[in-house]
Amino acid sequence: MKFRNMIIAVCLCVSVFAGGCGQSGQDTTKSIKSESTASSKESTEQTSTDTEASKDIFAMDTYMTVTAYGEKAQEAVDAAEAEIKRLDALLSTGNADSEIAKLNEQKSATLSEDGGYLVKRALELNKETDGAFDIAIYPVMEAWGFPTQNFRVPSADELTGLLKHVDAAKISYDKDTRELSFEDDQMKIDLGGIAKGYTSSRIMDIFKESGITSGLVNLGGNVQALGTKTDGSDWRVAVQSPDDTEDYLGVLSIRDKAVITSGGYERYFEQDGMTYHHIIDPKTGYPAENGLVSVTIVSSDGTLADGLSTSLFIMGEEKAAEFWKAHSDEFEAILATDDGTIYVTEGLKDSFTTDLGMKVIMK
Amino acid sequence: MIALAMLLVMQLTRGEEGNQIQVTLDGKIYGTYSLSKDQTIEVKDGDFYNRIRIEDGKAYMEEANCPDGYCEEQGKISGHTQTIVCLPHKLVVEVLENESKQNSGVSDSEDAAPDTIAK
Repeated sequence: MKFRNMIIAVCLCVSVFAGGCGQSGQDTTKSIKSESTASSKESTEQTSTDTEASKDIFAMDTYMTVTAYGEKAQEAVDAAEAEIKRLDALLSTGNADSEIAKLNEQKSATLSEDGGYLVKRALELNKETDGAFDIAIYPVMEAWGFPTQNFRVPSADELTGLLKHVDAAKISYDKDTRELSFEDDQMKIDLGGIAKGYTSSRIMDIFKESGITSGLVNLGGNVQALGTKTDGSDWRVAVQSPDDTEDYLGVLSIRDKAVITSGGYERYFEQDGMTYHHIIDPKTGYPAENGLVSVTIVSSDGTLADGLSTSLFIMGEEKAAEFWKAHSDEFEAILATDDGTIYVTEGLKDSFTTDLGMKVIMK
Repeated sequence: MIALAMLLVMQLTRGEEGNQIQVTLDGKIYGTYSLSKDQTIEVKDGDFYNRIRIEDGKAYMEEANCPDGYCEEQGKISGHTQTIVCLPHKLVVEVLENESKQNSGVSDSEDAAPDTIAK
């Protein structure tokens, strides 16, 4: 076992919660001036609507920043933290007491409202993406060692054997009773592919309930924004470059949207000179190599954005573009290919700025 | 020619000059350090050890005794909102932007620092 492990993403992690990464952005007003003496120009921050509350949270095996503005900002941020911890305890495959860990052990369960909602969305996504999104891929992820960080390259025979049990269609789920059972007792699921996107959407709801109209969360690189900045301008969300941690692919101007990026660069290991990343194609059992290095989804639905970022990565540029054309009312996308081209869907052509070459995918 | 050279220097130093990094341990501020001064910051917390190096206006994790060592792979940071995270030690190195730049009215321009980074 001499191979070298290199994880690009969440440190400890290899979490269950896919799409995480070790680096994370933070809010703009958290600057030197907020730490030291006041400056003459910060008057806008003194008004009650601009009161900022921000919290850094370690949860879901990643690093998160939650920020809200408004009179009840602190209350909203505290409630968001409680929600993150609740969902983490409920959904994490790594926590033996979680609903999902128990389900994987017992092969059947009556799910909570959150768990049930996520399974329902996951099964819909599985159909819509023609199997590119599959929560039943978990046994294959385990074979590669991603959940435990004990990385290894499984043999082709082993993968063929495991893939027989990877099929979300073999999950019977009744969305009225929330009763779920696996038709195959080798089956295990992981909701990590949509859990963080769901969590950021939940935080948007919590913010709204607290009367917050401006807020920003970054859950291990998964971004979601409520409203605009307090000055009424759009949030500016940089998209990480897949091959250079110091640089960006470009910057998106958004309001009321989730921005979720997936790429092989987030988490991988090397063995015998080969690099193996964590976005496993459920059809082959191997890391998806379909010409894309990074996929960013922009949508008002965080759960959808999270699930589609990995799905479109697996599909590759052509299929991803087709998929978008059929669902262009639900999301927009930025696709970076391994030859250095950036494709953006029509709805983003004015809100995404980049110094690199950009092609627009039209409907 | 001189103006051009000055412009070049300004371009090169933009986003670095005057910025600081803030080191936090499990959410508590450990210290803030200027990026303009080359220095080494050793952070010891129980058995945890991280050594951060600031050089040429950029900060990077030079050494850490965390099990995965991913913080050492996260590159050099100098721009606002950039971070290096060592999850096992709950240590975060974050670039704080100099206040004069934040208030310089460029926040809407395309060159302004982003509010956050999707990755």
